[in-house]
Amino acid sequence: MTNILRKTLLAGLALPLLSSAAMAGEVTLLFWPGPESEAMQKVLDAYNAGPGKTDGITVKQLLFSRQGYFEKEQADLAAGSSEFDLALVTTYTLGRYAPYLDPIDAQVPAEVKAAFAPVSLQSLTLDGKLYGVPTDISVHFLYYRKDLVDRLLSDTEWQKRYAAIAKEKLGREMQPKAPDDWSWDDWIAAALFFSAADNPDSPTRFGTVLQMKNLIFNIMLWQATLVSNGGDWLADGRPAIDGPAARTGLQVYKTLIDAKATPPGSISYEYPEANAAFQAGQAATMLQWNAAFNELNDPAKSPTVAGKIGLAPLPAGSAGHKSHVHSLGIGLNTASKNKADAGKVVAWLATKDAMTVYAQAGGTPPVPEILKSMAAARPEFPLVGDFVDRYGFVVTGGTAAYAVPVYEVLAEKFSAFWAGQIDLDTALKQAAEGMAERIKG
Amino acid sequence: MASAAGIGRRPYEGRWDGLWLLGPLLLFLALLLGFPAVANLVYSLSEVRFTGLWSPRWVGLDNYATVLADPAFWGAVGFSARFAVVVTVAQLLLGFALVLALDPLIAKRRWLMAFLLLPMMVSPALLGVMYRLMLNDFVGVIPQYLQLVGFSGNLLDADWAFTTVAVIEVLQWTPFAVLALLTAYQAIPGELVEAARIDGAGSWSVFRRITLPLMVPALAITGFIRFIDSFRVFDHIYVLTGGGPGTLTQSLSIYIYRTFFQQERIGPAVAASMLLLLASIVVLRLLMAQMLRGSRG
Repeated sequence: MTNILRKTLLAGLALPLLSSAAMAGEVTLLFWPGPESEAMQKVLDAYNAGPGKTDGITVKQLLFSRQGYFEKEQADLAAGSSEFDLALVTTYTLGRYAPYLDPIDAQVPAEVKAAFAPVSLQSLTLDGKLYGVPTDISVHFLYYRKDLVDRLLSDTEWQKRYAAIAKEKLGREMQPKAPDDWSWDDWIAAALFFSAADNPDSPTRFGTVLQMKNLIFNIMLWQATLVSNGGDWLADGRPAIDGPAARTGLQVYKTLIDAKATPPGSISYEYPEANAAFQAGQAATMLQWNAAFNELNDPAKSPTVAGKIGLAPLPAGSAGHKSHVHSLGIGLNTASKNKADAGKVVAWLATKDAMTVYAQAGGTPPVPEILKSMAAARPEFPLVGDFVDRYGFVVTGGTAAYAVPVYEVLAEKFSAFWAGQIDLDTALKQAAEGMAERIKG
Repeated sequence: MASAAGIGRRPYEGRWDGLWLLGPLLLFLALLLGFPAVANLVYSLSEVRFTGLWSPRWVGLDNYATVLADPAFWGAVGFSARFAVVVTVAQLLLGFALVLALDPLIAKRRWLMAFLLLPMMVSPALLGVMYRLMLNDFVGVIPQYLQLVGFSGNLLDADWAFTTVAVIEVLQWTPFAVLALLTAYQAIPGELVEAARIDGAGSWSVFRRITLPLMVPALAITGFIRFIDSFRVFDHIYVLTGGGPGTLTQSLSIYIYRTFFQQERIGPAVAASMLLLLASIVVLRLLMAQMLRGSRG
């Protein structure tokens, strides 16, 4: 009996070891499930059916659930797992992942890089080394109801009312402008005009819909107000979040909250809730990620607003229009036991062929030429390329290891300010202190 | 039979068989509980980052001091304690009331119990997603009905968020209280009640002098389990409010999660979890002592 037990135990221990051994010619990509993985599967299918046959390589995806994905990936990378050869990397998690990733500048040489929008490469670069092939770019649009804004620009009665509201609420004479030329004040004035709280005749209940849940992605959206007013995370290597630009930016949101120009629940909103408000025709404008356009402009999914949506750059501050940009990309796991094959796949992913398949499958590759060529199917694509190029920024430190902890502290403090839990001075002071602590590590 | 089975065997033959049989379980426990416990203790006394999990730097009790001086920690402790007390009391009251009201019905229709337990079967995270939809201002069913009765606020804003997440917890876990209390209620000897009735006791007297005293142990155990569970609440609050608005619904578990994973302050996060463990052990010890004293009495 003892012998049988001993053999059984040994066999049990040996099985996982055997199963973890990397199989030559098989490359595994760790990814998250959703539209990106579905699009990526088409790219991998194309590789497996084409260049993969020549290379003798098959690529497959390993999907972790989306909830807590980055923590799980980080834990696996830190543990030196070789269960996957390639992994999803993002701008904001790059600094954390970089110690476990190989730079891919050798696989993506300068002539290949030239096809990508420069800011997308910057968004996956740390200490001068590229750590991921940028496959998806995210930029922000000002979404607005074109039908309503067009009428505002042509209807004198509406214009008089707009001017009266601006005078009363913002204390100065203002005339409506085209959204492409909006400053933050123009946006606020338009939002007040389209809010039932200030204009009982408004065709929408709210002039805009903000996303203010205690969530890092909401800070990414907000920080255009910071950078467009000349601010940044750091100045001379030190936290500068408590400067006048952040104060102005936070007040933009607070003005809209106090004026009831955004739904009362928006303090708990994130991407889907804001979309729902706009989709229902209840909000006239919205600052939102480019990814929302496809669904909002689909007559089957959004019958109330489809075909009536205009896109513009986010309103301008003293430094002009700005938009946070970040990328998703594919990085090379240092612990991979199949690095040569994985490197070949990385090199192929950076080609126009691969990026074209990805775009056709629903992805948003940061390759301006491809984005422009798909204007008929995806009308927002040329604007993505254009806005990324003209207005895109990555905050100083946005790819550092402390990026997520800093976003986290900003989300906590600023969300508390918008919710009325703390005042502006306290929020800025605590944010700066928290930021300094996170940067120091 | 036992002596017959032992015939022909040397006294110590097979003594290692037991060890072999227990071995995998002991190894499993050592790996599953022992290693993380030791690692947690070490990390709580060290400065450590994801990039250096195998080389923590000893800092003594600094992490504990950092956590204890962090207002966000005390805010989270305050929320968790308030939340746990409120929902535990509510679940016990509601659960007990349901037991008293539904016992005759459940005795005849057993399937009703299974029906009552359904909310408990739903994953708390999924429940959070469901309520996110149901509470949405524009597509949610709950705000639509509330507007019909003149309520125009938002159930997730700063004024209502605590109440909302507490009500959701109560709705999900009251069935557990019903299940635990019903078993105790049905175990009360019928003859005691019958004798009291013969002696002229009314319903209120029967409840106050017989039912309630005999239910106290079950109420205490149920209350303890629900308190501990509610104190550690994470899933539905994280999905629904992310701990906000601001940090108004940030439980201790959410604080630990954010500190560990999102702020990457591993030492303070683990120190906070060790403090939570310590507090749980103290509460458990006190309660067990009380229960043992009660059972001996």
